[in-house]
Amino acid sequence: MATESLNVKELYEKWILDAKTKLTEEDLVPRVKEYLIGQHPEICGKCAPCRDGVIKLEQLLDQYIEGTATIKTLKEIERLTYNLRASRCSVGLDIGKNMEVILENDYHVLYKPVKKY
Amino acid sequence: MASITIDGKTLKVKNGTTILKAAEQIGIEIPTLCFLEEINEIGFCRICIVEVEDEQDLVSACNTEVASGMVIHTNSEKVKESRKATLDLLASKHRFDCWRCPKDGMCEFYDMLKEHDIVFEEFGPGIGRTDEQIVGTGISQDLTKCILCKRCVAVCQEVVTANVLKFRDEDPLNPVVSPTPGLTFDESGCIFCGQCVKACPTGTLFETNHVEDLENVLLEDNYVIAQIAEEARIGLREEFGVDIQDESFDDVFDQALKMIGFEEVVATGVAEDLHVSALGEELYQHLQAKNDGPLLSSWCSGFVRYSELYYSDYLDQLSKLRSPHILQGSLLKHREHKGKDNVKVISIMPCTSKKYEITREELKVNDEQVVDYVLTVREIAKMIKRRGFDMENMKPSVKQDSPYALARKTSYDLLENVLAYVANKMNVPFEKPKYKVIHGERLVETEGVIEEATIKFGKEKFHVLRVSGGQAVKQMYQLLKDGKKKYAFADVSHCANGCMNGGGQAIRHNVEVHDVILARDEAMRRMHENKETTTNEYANNLLDEFFTEKRELLETSYSVKEFTKE
Ligand code: SF4
Ligand code: SF4
Ligand code: SF4
Ligand code: SF4
Ligand code: FES
Repeated sequence: MATESLNVKELYEKWILDAKTKLTEEDLVPRVKEYLIGQHPEICGKCAPCRDGVIKLEQLLDQYIEGTATIKTLKEIERLTYNLRASRCSVGLDIGKNMEVILENDYHVLYKPVKKY
Repeated sequence: MASITIDGKTLKVKNGTTILKAAEQIGIEIPTLCFLEEINEIGFCRICIVEVEDEQDLVSACNTEVASGMVIHTNSEKVKESRKATLDLLASKHRFDCWRCPKDGMCEFYDMLKEHDIVFEEFGPGIGRTDEQIVGTGISQDLTKCILCKRCVAVCQEVVTANVLKFRDEDPLNPVVSPTPGLTFDESGCIFCGQCVKACPTGTLFETNHVEDLENVLLEDNYVIAQIAEEARIGLREEFGVDIQDESFDDVFDQALKMIGFEEVVATGVAEDLHVSALGEELYQHLQAKNDGPLLSSWCSGFVRYSELYYSDYLDQLSKLRSPHILQGSLLKHREHKGKDNVKVISIMPCTSKKYEITREELKVNDEQVVDYVLTVREIAKMIKRRGFDMENMKPSVKQDSPYALARKTSYDLLENVLAYVANKMNVPFEKPKYKVIHGERLVETEGVIEEATIKFGKEKFHVLRVSGGQAVKQMYQLLKDGKKKYAFADVSHCANGCMNGGGQAIRHNVEVHDVILARDEAMRRMHENKETTTNEYANNLLDEFFTEKRELLETSYSVKEFTKE
C-alpha cells in the first residue's frame, strides 16, 4: 500500500504541481481523481471532512468527466477542499493542501467547462 | 496560567485547559457533537473547530489545549463554513425520518442542523451508510442514522465496562459502530443498561420499542395495569416540562394514562417495601448462616446480567429475590386479579434493561411473563404526547383505594432499610451507617462510586458496600477477589448514580449530567421528606404469605449466560 501511494504522490507532484506541467487540460480532472483514490489507503476513517469529503470530491470530479458539472460543482469542490483544513490528522490536511494548490494553479481548467458566458 | 484571546476578549486560564473549556469561562459555547466530558474527548466529529491566528489549519476546541498568546476565533466565516460543510457531509450519509425517530425532539444532530441552517446543495439527505438493523431485547440499533461520533463506544467501555460496541474501521471509508458484526445485542454480551442510548446524539441507538405492542394491548379486550417507578415519575415531570418537584403533575399524568385505556395505575411502593423486607430477611438468614462472602442485591437487572455474563463465579452470592416490579407483576396477576386471564401488566421504568428482564425464562410463571411490557419514560411520554391532550387543564385522576396506589413507606435508601430490618429482627438498636467513599467519586460516571460502612448489630460488626456505576461494579468484584476484607452485603446499581440516571430516563442534552442528577435526587428527597417512614404492614403481611405459600413467586435463580467474545 505504502509504495503505491508513494507513486501516486510522485505522479501527483510531477503532473499536477509542477508549473511547467505537460498535463493537458483534459488530463487534469481524471489525474486529480486518481490521486484522490490513491490516497484511500491512508485515510483512517475517523473524521468526516476527510473520510466523506474525499469521496464527495471524487463524485464531483466525476461530474466533470461525465460533462454534467455546473458552477455549483466547482463551488462545492472549493468548499469541501477548504473543509479539509478541519481534518483530524495530516492525511486529510495534506490532501486539502494539495487540492488547494490545484485550485490555485488550475482554476481556469475547472472553470472553463462550467462558465455561463 | 496562559493569557489568550477568544473572540476579542482576553482572559487568563490555567495551562492544560482546552479551548472549549476556556471559551465556556467567558460564556461562549462552542458547539460540540462527539464530545462527552471525561468520557469521549477524541476530536472525531470536527464540529467544534475554531480558527487560531497563525495556525494554518482549523483546530478542534474540545481536545486542543490553550497556549499562551493564542488568538482564537470561534465564529469566523471560515469556522462557520467548515461546520456547515461537515454537517452537510454527515447529513448526506444519514437517513432522515425525524417524525418517527426514537430521538424525535431530543436529537442533538437535528438541533445542530437546524442551528446551522443546513441547506442540501449537491448532496441531499442520505439513505445511511448501511441499512443494517441490529436487534436486541432491551436496546436496538438502526445503522442508517449513525454519524460515527463514537460516544456510545466510549460509554460502553469506560462507564459500563461491557465493551459491546466498537468502532470498526476495517474499511476506513465505511466505518461501522456496532456490536460484533452479524450478532444481536443479546449475543454480544450487552447488559441492556441503555447508557449508550442516552449518550447517542442521534436515533441510532434506542430502546427496543414496546409502544406499538402496548397500543395493541390497549385496543384489545384486556384489563391493563400500569405500574410506575418513582424515578420514572421524576423523569416524566421533566419530559412534560413541569417543575421537577411538582408532585401534583403525577395525578394528571395518571389521568392521561386512564384516558388512553389503562384500567388501573399503581405505584411500585408495595413492591419496593416487600422487596426491602424480603431482602432484610435474606440478609438476616445469610448472617445467621455465617456464609462466606457478601450477599449481593439483585434488584438491578443490568447488574444481574453483567454478573451472569462476566462474573459467573459469584452467582451464588446474588440475592435470590425477584426485582420489585417483577414481584408486583406476579402479585397483580396471580393474587389480586387471580382467575382473570386478560390482565396485562405494564411497567413504566427509568430502565431499558427491565425490557430484557421481563423476558427471562427464570421469571416466568406458568410459562408466561408476569410483566408484559416495559416502557421507558421516553416511550410513555411520547405515547401520551401523540394524543395531544390538554394536560394543563386536565383534571387529576382520583387515586384508587388500593394499597398498590401508594408510594413506598420505607425510605428511599434501600441499604438503610435492609439494615434496619435486620437490626429489628436481631432486637438490637439500629444506628444509621456512616459511609466512607473507598472508590471513585459520586457524579463521576467514568469511575462510579463505592461507599463502605461498618455497622454494629449488638456486639457484632459487619462491613457493607453501596456500589454504583460499571467501573465501581468491576472494582467491587476485584475487592471480593482480593478478599482482604470480609463484606456482609452490597447494594449494587449498574448505572452510575443509580436508576435516577438509568438508560430509560428522560434525556436532557442541554443540561450538565451533574445538574440533572442533583435536581432529580433533590426531587426524590422532597417526595419523601414529609412522609413518615414506617413499615408497610400490607407488604409485610404479603411477605408472610409469600414465605409460607408463594415462595416460587418471590425467588429466582441465575445461570451463566453465554455470549460470543470477540
Ligand atoms: S437521528 Fe435526529 S436527524 Fe436523524 S432521523 Fe432521528 S431525529 Fe431526525
Ligand atoms: S446497553 Fe449498556 S452494555 Fe449494552 S451496548 Fe449499550 S452501554 Fe453497552
Ligand atoms: S450509534 Fe450513536 S453514539 Fe454511537 S457512534 Fe453512532 S451516532 Fe454516535
Ligand atoms: S441501575 Fe436502575 S436503571 Fe440502571 S440498569 Fe440497574 S435497574 Fe436499570
Ligand atoms: S466535539 Fe470536538 S471534534 Fe467532536
